[in-house]
Amino acid sequence: MSSPRYVELQATSHFSFLRGASSCEELFAQAASHGVEAMAIVDRNSVAGIVRAHVAAKEAGVRLIVGCRLDLTDGTGLLVYPTDRPAYARLCRLLSLGKRRAGKAQCRIGWDDLPAYADGLIAILVPDQADEICVQRLRRTKATFTAGAYMALTLRRRPGDALRLHQLANLATQAGVLPVVTNDVLFHEPGRRLLQDVVTCVRHRCTIDELGFRRERHADRHLKPAAEMHRLFSKYPEALTRTLEIADRCRFSLEELAYQYPDEVSEPGMTPQQTLEALTWEGAARRYPEGVPDKVTAILRHELGLIERLGYAPYFLTVNSIVRFARSQDILCQGRGSAANSAVCYVLGVTSIDPERNDLLFERFVSEERREPPDIDVDFEHERREIVLQWVFDTYGRDRAALCSTVIRYRARGAIRDVGKALGLPEDMTKALSSQVWSWSEGGVEARHAEELNFDLRDRRLRLALDLARQLQGAPRHLSQHPGGFVLTHDRLDELVPIEPAAMKDRQVIEWDKDDIDALKFMKVDCLALGMMSCMKRGLDLLREHKGMDLDLATIPAEDPRTYAMIRRADTLGVFQIESRAQMAMLPRIKPRTFYDLVIEVAIVRPGPIQGDMVHPYLRRREGKEPIVFPKPELEKVLGKTLGVPLFQEQAMRVAIECAGFTPSEADQLRRAMATFKFTGGVSHFKDKLVGGMVERGYDLEFAERTFSQLEGFGSYGFPESHAASFALIAYASSWLKCHHPDVFCAALLNAQPMGFYAPAQIVRDAREHGVEVRPACVNRSRWDCTLELTANPSRFAIRLGLRMVRGLANIDAAALVAARQDRPFASVDELWRRAGVPAASLVRLAEADAFQPDLRLARREALWAIKALRDEPLPLFAAASAREQQLIPEIDEPVVQLKPMTAGREVVEDYGHVGLTLRQHPLAFLREALSTETYQTCRTATDARDGRFLKAAGLVLIRQMPASAKGVMFITIEDETGIANLVIWPTLYEKQRRTILGAAMLGVDGRIQREGEVVHLIAYKVFDLTPQLSSLGQRDTPFPLPHGRGDEGARGSPPDPRTRPPLKARDLYSPDLHIDTLKQTSRNFR
Amino acid sequence: MILVGAAGRRRVVLAANAAALALRLQPGMPAAQARALRADALAEPADPAGDARALDQLALWALKRYAPVVAADPPDGLVLDVTGATHLWGGETALLQDIIDRLAAVGITARAAMTGSWGAAHALARWVARPMAIVPSDQSGRAIADLPVQALRLPKGMAAALGKVGIDHVGEIEAKPRARLALRFGPKLTRRLDQAYGRAAEPIQPIEAPELVQARRAFAEPIGAPETLARYTLKLVEVLCAQLEAKGLGARLLDLRFHRVDNRLETIRVGTARPVRDIKRLTRLLCDKLETVDPGFGVDTMVLVATLAEPLDWKLVATDLTTPAAPDIADLVDMLSNRLGPGRLYRLAPAQSDVPERSTRKIAATAPPTAQAWQAGWPRPARLLARPELIEAMALLPDQPPVSFTWRGVRRRVRRADGPERIFGEWWRRDGEIDAVRDYFQLEDEAGDRFWVFRRGDGELPWTGDLTWYLHGVFG
Repeated sequence: MSSPRYVELQATSHFSFLRGASSCEELFAQAASHGVEAMAIVDRNSVAGIVRAHVAAKEAGVRLIVGCRLDLTDGTGLLVYPTDRPAYARLCRLLSLGKRRAGKAQCRIGWDDLPAYADGLIAILVPDQADEICVQRLRRTKATFTAGAYMALTLRRRPGDALRLHQLANLATQAGVLPVVTNDVLFHEPGRRLLQDVVTCVRHRCTIDELGFRRERHADRHLKPAAEMHRLFSKYPEALTRTLEIADRCRFSLEELAYQYPDEVSEPGMTPQQTLEALTWEGAARRYPEGVPDKVTAILRHELGLIERLGYAPYFLTVNSIVRFARSQDILCQGRGSAANSAVCYVLGVTSIDPERNDLLFERFVSEERREPPDIDVDFEHERREIVLQWVFDTYGRDRAALCSTVIRYRARGAIRDVGKALGLPEDMTKALSSQVWSWSEGGVEARHAEELNFDLRDRRLRLALDLARQLQGAPRHLSQHPGGFVLTHDRLDELVPIEPAAMKDRQVIEWDKDDIDALKFMKVDCLALGMMSCMKRGLDLLREHKGMDLDLATIPAEDPRTYAMIRRADTLGVFQIESRAQMAMLPRIKPRTFYDLVIEVAIVRPGPIQGDMVHPYLRRREGKEPIVFPKPELEKVLGKTLGVPLFQEQAMRVAIECAGFTPSEADQLRRAMATFKFTGGVSHFKDKLVGGMVERGYDLEFAERTFSQLEGFGSYGFPESHAASFALIAYASSWLKCHHPDVFCAALLNAQPMGFYAPAQIVRDAREHGVEVRPACVNRSRWDCTLELTANPSRFAIRLGLRMVRGLANIDAAALVAARQDRPFASVDELWRRAGVPAASLVRLAEADAFQPDLRLARREALWAIKALRDEPLPLFAAASAREQQLIPEIDEPVVQLKPMTAGREVVEDYGHVGLTLRQHPLAFLREALSTETYQTCRTATDARDGRFLKAAGLVLIRQMPASAKGVMFITIEDETGIANLVIWPTLYEKQRRTILGAAMLGVDGRIQREGEVVHLIAYKVFDLTPQLSSLGQRDTPFPLPHGRGDEGARGSPPDPRTRPPLKARDLYSPDLHIDTLKQTSRNFR
Repeated sequence: MILVGAAGRRRVVLAANAAALALRLQPGMPAAQARALRADALAEPADPAGDARALDQLALWALKRYAPVVAADPPDGLVLDVTGATHLWGGETALLQDIIDRLAAVGITARAAMTGSWGAAHALARWVARPMAIVPSDQSGRAIADLPVQALRLPKGMAAALGKVGIDHVGEIEAKPRARLALRFGPKLTRRLDQAYGRAAEPIQPIEAPELVQARRAFAEPIGAPETLARYTLKLVEVLCAQLEAKGLGARLLDLRFHRVDNRLETIRVGTARPVRDIKRLTRLLCDKLETVDPGFGVDTMVLVATLAEPLDWKLVATDLTTPAAPDIADLVDMLSNRLGPGRLYRLAPAQSDVPERSTRKIAATAPPTAQAWQAGWPRPARLLARPELIEAMALLPDQPPVSFTWRGVRRRVRRADGPERIFGEWWRRDGEIDAVRDYFQLEDEAGDRFWVFRRGDGELPWTGDLTWYLHGVFG
């Protein structure tokens, strides 16, 4: 007898957020081992998980039946399965309709909506009791779904189950609806029941003790083997075989989703290719007014040919028109991504990297064999990107354009927080626990973290919470929007995938994220926001306005020796990408002299190359300390440019192809596998293949092993060359600005805040060290933005801090103030208040920021004293008098009250608290005497000390970083009045003094100086929390208001700068949705 | 030791003793941080209401002992108007010393200050007294001038606002022009200032000792016969009820004390579910318990105290004559519960749990109806055994009902059965319940008796239970 056959038609994945408890991968793997030959994923009003299911199903060898569970407004549950492509389109449109109606993350569909979309859909009614309602619903189902109407028979393991099933089957037969067996699966194996209860708690926002009957009360919701299903439903053999019938009819597969790129509006009578070619030659003539160089012409010809063969012309045209629109709005932008570094993109103006100067091979990015969709990301100024987004929506139509979504998944911190809450742990406890893990860590909160906090691990709730939180990690929580990935289609997009409104106004997103889009080979254009673009835009505007220089990214003088000299000095605070500690430490060693050096610099300080241990070999070879050898000539072809060391992602793939005989698609699989299965050992068979392949081709084993370990790092953390080149260009442009126009650069950077690694305090300090005069914010001179003011030196401007620096001041109030001021400065607080009409609270902010001091000569306290006297409204009589006299009639003529002046230290504290920086003395200057008696050296002395010296130093904590690549080593930058010092905290010390390290605003360090060329580190042996001393500065028991830059990972919950996050692959750099897709948890067995 | 309480949504240290302060555990610090710093710190939940009650108690004590006008000065002080009372203690110093000593004897560290105004004394006691400060009224202004502005009992945030314009000390406020101050900081500041400087009167609202409603009867001749005791009980109840009515109260807890001639005390305590001052009912409740009283050689005094009294006002009786008034069973409940003892009389209400033992909970007999309905769809036996009884049963694994079973020595053949109903352990309660599964079956034997039995374990996975059978209930 053949083994029993069964198809599971009702499986819920964890894309039914906070309901399903298992991933598609887990479900399909389990289905395969249980002999279930096909399985339908039916998530609630959603097909968000269907692409994952599609991929997982292929891998497990179980067929996926595309389906969806519709929860209608009257509470009916209907499982629907499209039989073919048009039916799927109708389902997507139905879901889009429901979502549009109900708003974000909800869906409202009623029976009335169904008939219009029901064609070709097979429906299974999920009944409850065999009663009147059931009969009614059966009738409606029968009437609505002509393609096939069924009713689910599901065992609940509750009293009267057998009878209920019997009655239901009878009712169904009477109504002419056929019963079919389903199992209503919520998780793949029985052990997930606990987690399922927990997510139910999270959904209901209550603790497990309060949950009561809101738990899933029907038992046995795990996936069961086919044989078991046959045993359980032995009375209903037809209902069992019907699962096979339905499965047989629902042959729709996602592979049928033929994606069609929108026809770009092209010149009448011309194909997109012809249009693109015309535009290209036009652009080339513009770029090279003296005639297009032969080399470029050849490259262009070649690329256009390739584009034609692959049919990518419309895509390039789309990018071109987006960029052209941005240009027309004077929005600065720059393309990057695999296809962006083509000569075509350069002449179209999408990028600014001159192909004449660089030889990046187009094929490297657009491979003919892989037939991957081309990939161009465009970075826009972050403040004005919305204009571009809305233009795209409007131009391509809201039913043809939508943003990708991003699956927000549980990470260590969120998991422990939600699980802790569900288990009723006190909030401070979960908070303390979550603060113990570095937010992006994959490890999760462990028992040792709890021990560290002196929590009692014998508390079983705590143990359970830690355990369940680990299981929850990686589970999706909700959909959010991708920062800028547009999917554009020729046909209606909502027939491909449901569209839902986004939380942000006027935006809409599809249910799938970019990995899903990739898997289906959809094309997408990323319109990303980049803070540095805003900064550059502002800088270039200031240059034009004040210095009469009209430049853009492409016309900034290239290969400027002074700029490179500055970069070599690691004097790069604030510039793009090469401003981090790690980058700065590398600069004096790479010694960039040309643009390509910068490209390498950008690419080399990445977790990939660092983990793969490629940095040191590269440096040694570069410094000539190691011969550059290529075991085989084909390697030279691949790695010649980077001295035989693979530094870019595509080089890693080429090595696999050239040296181990991988096909290009295998190499791509290898890359993906490394990203995805990094933690599960799924790469091992690739390793065998790679090492085996290399040995076969005559490489020695040791070399092959080393190559593999080098490649391993790349899967997720490498940079493709094209990205590195685009970033290097922006890095160069910002460096050039900083080098030649530090005043402009500083003002632009301050106005573009928040961005970058550093807080305004450090930016201003750096500018002042470069001889830029910085003037305080002033009610009579400042505008909202920082501005440039004339100085005695006509080539140098002074920076006037803008009112944007004033903490808590609303933009609108500042604008009112500036508008009321015009050219007639305010003479008194009273007058300002009356003329500008801003609320007294805003005046308080200004006073606290000392903005009345520069012009009105009112110290903080005096200004506050004056403001305190203001009422809500001016007295009408005085207001009338003032209006008549055209000048201010003060309401009160009061004698001057003597107020105690602030101490200098207090002023500094107030500066930090309300402006975020001080133009007075550095706070540590006030403490220097006390510090000297404790033998603390200044940072300057420390960094000048000889190698190996032991000494003590102290300073404000500016930045704490723990790069994923550094294996637990933490880098801290401290600052005192003389300069900065870079601390290295080894993991042992970090574990020992974690609290001090993470908590202190001011640190004292006992350590040893380590010199590596020009790079000086202070290796810490012991740290001291000097925060109390710092607090004493203000002579009040208030903590010192130390602002942290975005680079400080310690002070902010999560690493704010995407650059520091470990991305899945390099092209995800600027999306906040980076996650490890399949965090496999080993299931636990309870005893 | 630290006290931990909620400040908004956070749990913070609200108070710390000297030892804790020495360990840098400070008020305002998040509780978790404090715990992380010192695991051995004793953390107790803060009880502000309890503190306030205790402070009132202390005020009462001071009222009885030291001065006629005493008030609590929350959160941590007492204010006494000792005008004309100091000579009783031999002078001001001696008075303060006595207070400090007596409080120290019961473990309270006290600081005391005496001066002409409440405001100044408040400030001095908290900022100057170590442990005692006596400042003549005319010098109190100078004494408080150097104190921080917080000493002035200012509204929240005002001290910080003053600090912002550089006013840190009381004397600096005093030195500023008053009109300017009032314009900027409102009249509250100047009023507090005047109160501290004794320029504005600040009457102390003294606390009053609450009186227990009680009735007392002394007998010339000791009484002992039960009837006599009952008669006088009635008389005492009458007196007490009259007093209660005058105050608009009803008794919730009554103590009847019998002082015996041999100087021993017999007590009856009765409680009521709602405030009552019905003479008949109270008398009956008390008399029901008279038999527990051993009069010995006789009782010479009887005292009836309404230890717990709650407001009770007259209520309108329903005037709708057509519908009979719902019978008031409070009386019956009181009687039964006083006879059976506290906690013995209760009602069962459904609880949201699938585990049969936990699916009900006890609520007070007179509690209002709960919103929850009993589950209709999933029948439960009329009688649930207090603990399931082990039975022997024959059944096919994994999920077939037993064919026959033996309970209390009687073997029964099963004619009809329904099940299994699978009930999982509530894993969040105990480790043992994480995996535990019970499969329940409803069985009907040949005689038509129906039983509720279960098997431990789901019949497949060995760790879910050991496959033994139990009988858990009998259907009616």
